[in-house]
Amino acid sequence: MQLLLTVNGMQYEVEARPTARLLDVLRDQLGLTGTKEGCGEGECGACTVIVDGKAVNACVMLAVQARGKDVLTVEGLAEGGDLDLLQQKFVEYGAVQCGYCTPGMLMSAKALLMANPVPSEQDIRIALAGNLCRCTGYAAIVAAVKAASGHDATPAMVLPGEADELTVEVSTDPETLAIVQEVVEAAAAELTEAAAPAPEAFPSPDAPVAGPPAAPAPSPEAPAGSSDAEGGE
Amino acid sequence: MPVTQVVTPADVDELVEALKTATPQTRLLAGGTDLVRDIRRPGNEPDVLIDLTGLGGFTYIRLDGDTLRVGATTTFTELQWDPLVHEHALCLGLAAAQVGSVQIRNAGTIGGNIANASPCADGATALTALGADVTTIDGGGVATTRPLGEVLLGPGRTSLRHDEAITEFSFPALGPEHRSAFAKIGSRTAVSVARLSAALVVRFDAAAGTLADVRVSLGAVGGAAFRAADLEQSLAGRPADEETARLFAEGCVVAVQQSIPGRYSLPYKQHAAVGLAYDAWNMLALSPPCEPALA
Amino acid sequence: MTEDLQYVGGSYPVHDVAQKVTGELVYGSDFSMPGMLHAKLILSTIPHGMVKRVDASRAEAMPGVVKVFSHENSPMTRFCRARIHPGQDLAPHDETLFSEHVRFVGDRVAAVVATSRATAEAAAALVEIEYEELPPLLTVDEALASTDVLVHSTGNIAYESEFDKGERPDLEGAVIVSSSTSTPRVHHAALEPHVCIARGHSTGGMTVWTTSQGVYAARTVIAELLSMEYHRVRVIKVPMGGSFGGKTEYIIEPVCAFLAHATRRPVKLLLDREECMVATMVRPATWTTIRTACTQDGVLLDFEAASTLDAGAYASSTPDYSIHMCKKVTKLYRTPHYRHMSRAVLTNTPVGGACRGWGAPEIAAATEIHMDRVAAALRLDPVELRLKNMVEPFDTDLVTGLPLGDARVRECLERGAVAFDWAARRARPAGRGRLRRGVGVAAGAHKNGMFGAFPEASNMSLKMNEDGTFELNASLHDPGCGIVTTMKIIVGEVLGVHPDRIAAGEADTATTPFDYGTYGSRVTYVVGQCARVTAEKVKGRLLQAASELLKEPVVHLYTRDGAVRVEHDPERAVAYRDIARLSEMRHVPSIAASTTYYAVSNPASYSVQFAEVEVDTATGLVAVNDFLAVADVGRAINRGMVEAQYQGAVQMGIGYALYEHLDVDEQGRSGIDGFKNYHMVNAPDMPDIQVLLVEHEGDDGPFSAKSVGEIATVPTAPAIVNAVNNALGTALSDLPLVPERIIGALHAPEGVPACSSC
Repeated sequence: MQLLLTVNGMQYEVEARPTARLLDVLRDQLGLTGTKEGCGEGECGACTVIVDGKAVNACVMLAVQARGKDVLTVEGLAEGGDLDLLQQKFVEYGAVQCGYCTPGMLMSAKALLMANPVPSEQDIRIALAGNLCRCTGYAAIVAAVKAASGHDATPAMVLPGEADELTVEVSTDPETLAIVQEVVEAAAAELTEAAAPAPEAFPSPDAPVAGPPAAPAPSPEAPAGSSDAEGGE
Repeated sequence: MPVTQVVTPADVDELVEALKTATPQTRLLAGGTDLVRDIRRPGNEPDVLIDLTGLGGFTYIRLDGDTLRVGATTTFTELQWDPLVHEHALCLGLAAAQVGSVQIRNAGTIGGNIANASPCADGATALTALGADVTTIDGGGVATTRPLGEVLLGPGRTSLRHDEAITEFSFPALGPEHRSAFAKIGSRTAVSVARLSAALVVRFDAAAGTLADVRVSLGAVGGAAFRAADLEQSLAGRPADEETARLFAEGCVVAVQQSIPGRYSLPYKQHAAVGLAYDAWNMLALSPPCEPALA
Repeated sequence: MTEDLQYVGGSYPVHDVAQKVTGELVYGSDFSMPGMLHAKLILSTIPHGMVKRVDASRAEAMPGVVKVFSHENSPMTRFCRARIHPGQDLAPHDETLFSEHVRFVGDRVAAVVATSRATAEAAAALVEIEYEELPPLLTVDEALASTDVLVHSTGNIAYESEFDKGERPDLEGAVIVSSSTSTPRVHHAALEPHVCIARGHSTGGMTVWTTSQGVYAARTVIAELLSMEYHRVRVIKVPMGGSFGGKTEYIIEPVCAFLAHATRRPVKLLLDREECMVATMVRPATWTTIRTACTQDGVLLDFEAASTLDAGAYASSTPDYSIHMCKKVTKLYRTPHYRHMSRAVLTNTPVGGACRGWGAPEIAAATEIHMDRVAAALRLDPVELRLKNMVEPFDTDLVTGLPLGDARVRECLERGAVAFDWAARRARPAGRGRLRRGVGVAAGAHKNGMFGAFPEASNMSLKMNEDGTFELNASLHDPGCGIVTTMKIIVGEVLGVHPDRIAAGEADTATTPFDYGTYGSRVTYVVGQCARVTAEKVKGRLLQAASELLKEPVVHLYTRDGAVRVEHDPERAVAYRDIARLSEMRHVPSIAASTTYYAVSNPASYSVQFAEVEVDTATGLVAVNDFLAVADVGRAINRGMVEAQYQGAVQMGIGYALYEHLDVDEQGRSGIDGFKNYHMVNAPDMPDIQVLLVEHEGDDGPFSAKSVGEIATVPTAPAIVNAVNNALGTALSDLPLVPERIIGALHAPEGVPACSSC
């Protein structure tokens, strides 16, 4: 059946089986895989999303139930690429290890702070009672939520300065600098000569203009490579 | 694969229309926290799913004279925080607050909880103590009201016909002379199905210093929540003191023993019932907090 | 400590934290590729029997179903899901892709491959399986007693071992104490379910994306099964949502690879929670009896133990696991004589195997509960008794003969007792009311890699990029506990660059050099030291290059903040970026180094943990009010992560002590189909955990670091059990202490009922 859903402020028209869960539509059809399936029975909270301001388990909600409602997923938290305050605090407080429970935790915490901007520790723990974590023991997560709510929470972790706050390494030895300068200039000169085409290579105004070179065909066997490999080939 | 048809009635008339053509394979969807998993099991797909999500008209809590009326699609979160529930049906609000997690409470409805008929349903225990009636509507447009005990028959079994939908729960509103409590023992503090639950409603006659109108409902023992009638009678007229608390606890133990004789969990539950009883009693705050006699 | 460290000891988030908080990170379970098919396993519904007939006709007639596979149309080659390398001892090849002889409820019988998950699930329900039932052996007692019914033709005992070390002294006048402890079958319960994706190639090879903790080992098993040469099989470790050992073994990789190979399509096999709980693996249930002899003052004279482990339906890693149960006590306590018999017994129940601690939590539960009994018999304080017997730094482990290294467990206990205010809390009465308080202590030991028992080495290489950033090429397998970050910190410290200037990927048999993987608590100590050594080599080359440029001898130079600098002369420094460029232009294309690092030692890591509990004697529920974990870590590389790991480890240990158990009924079914009736500690029930790190130089890990992840959960459960026994005056020793057991002990001490559910 056809469903019109509003997710993270955007409208989507999806074709889904009537018994498709909201979780399935989000992940498989909208490509929003941030919301996770940990148990499929509404116990672990990894699938928590916010529907009309309330945290719910997307794995025990049919997609049809989300019609006409505003659905917010973890992908909708960071506006314009900047991390939301909660997300920032999760980073700062070491509240993320394997990260699988993290989207659900963020959404439960977000829903809490939307309704109760200055929750007590008890409020936070109850709000997260339906979000299971096997890595962190919850402490850093609770601390992060407290910090995001403006409490004076004792940081579980304090981070050293970020890399881009560090000074840029520069050579300061004058002799070395001189050598570097010399070598760099020589290299630059070589490059400039190579790049400039000989005047006779330019086509005359009447000759047909060649199009841009074709982009290389993507290699189907390209290795996945780095640590955040999505694994696609 | 069979394809389920989804019908989303917008009002009572459309609901009746949908119920008219219901078959035994038709299911009603309220919150979905129990149903969604069930209907996705291979072989369990409904022919028609009547989606009650669009029926805003059945989400309400209102005081109608002396009767408190709760719409069937009212969620546990709504029950948990509602001032009318706090004032006139506290045990129901306390029960609602302990159903699952925030996520479950935000979606789960009192109607769905009863229709699912889990013997451990916290809502059922509280409504039983409140003496609730259930109003339903069927495919013929006929509204019927009957006691909850006639609807809940046993584990997973109700007397609801396939073309019948719960629309409302109603019960005499508790007044200022009433106190009520709900207690539950799970496997952990929060987010646990009840292993034992109790709802307690008393009317306290301040002048006489005695309990009148004692209602004790026990859940998660036996097939469905039930009233411990003998115990209720034995407590009526008694003062609100430690001895009464002790009798209450003893009575709960007997009631548990009688409801699950020979069951494997009986040795545990008959002892835990003491703790449950004292927890419920202390919540009434009619006497200083009591403790059971020591093991 | 003496070294002035810039990065080591700081607190860093995991390297991919930004992707995790935005939901961007693609985990194995999120993975998708064009043309991918979905597989659904069909699992045995009986605990023991033969599959007589598989009728897939209705299923295969369904649109979208590609094929149904079972033992009838798949190779019956046997493999071992826990094998590390071909030819390995103690790697019983007793499992096939699909079973004809089913051995537990959950055994793989068949698989449907279809175009969608929903289709595969619907089709799986239409496959008809006919079994011929055999008598099931559901307990170790039944299995040991049975002579004619065998789980495997080789017999019902998967493995037996005995260690007998030292000399028994004269026991005249000694105080003899016995105890018997049982630990339950529990589940790792990592939040992400098990998943594997595989794809065959028309060139005759295979790529497998897996969450396994050892891609090279997985490859040998997969390649052999499919009769492929290893160089044609590529196994890639993908981001994963936790493991705790549950994904170490190749449970679904072989079958997924086979399905991909047989259908010539990419196939994704993603298990649901019920399948994970029953059909992957569990921490094996154990029973241990201990008998000690001590002097009247509490000094151990003799320690004898016998442990039985329920291996479940396939031997898996339980032979090795059962051996390791015998190798923990003497890391912790001195004793003149130690004898420990251990056996792993096969039963028709879920498969036991690798789980966090690898036998250490199981034996620590028995040992530490026993030690409290000894303390009670001698009227000694439990801390005092342990202090009389604990090892000292640089003792030798009686069982392995290996040095224990800079063993600081005694200090952990002493400092912990002070920090926890042990004496005062212990002196406080438990109370006679409904709620009773108690405190307990327990200690544990674990290892740092496999040196001494197994080949132990790691390979990696490190190169500098043209802009002065670095790339570490190593087969890292990060289950989510920050391994990649740890390596970056180590390399960054050596090279004097911020860890964020170092890239480090994870394991891929095609591109990263051989390493065994993440298990055996080897990663910080062995792999981390390999990283250090490799980084030191690169540093050496940087210093050399800088020495020529700055015209200074190497001894006058040091690395800091991305440059080589001249000591006492801040004006003179050459940036790595410039060294890179200059070197390249002088025909030295790259500054890089590789290392094969062989472990040189295997010290012990320790933790001592203190718990305060409050028991509700009416309901039998136990609340953990306060908890202190003291950790002998050598050095915290990522301090915040060490503490965070401890907090998570204690969550697991509390569950082990109080809530978690996976039992089977008379039909061999577990009745646990998910988290609704398998309760882990959630946020409201989690106490605040104080973590105290004890750090000393010593040992051969990177910057003296030792392992953390497994030891952290070793003594948690017995600390809690000891606290409950202190509160109630009981001698409970069957875990978990579910309410029935507590109530049973309070009301009917003779007949304590076993666990049951609602």
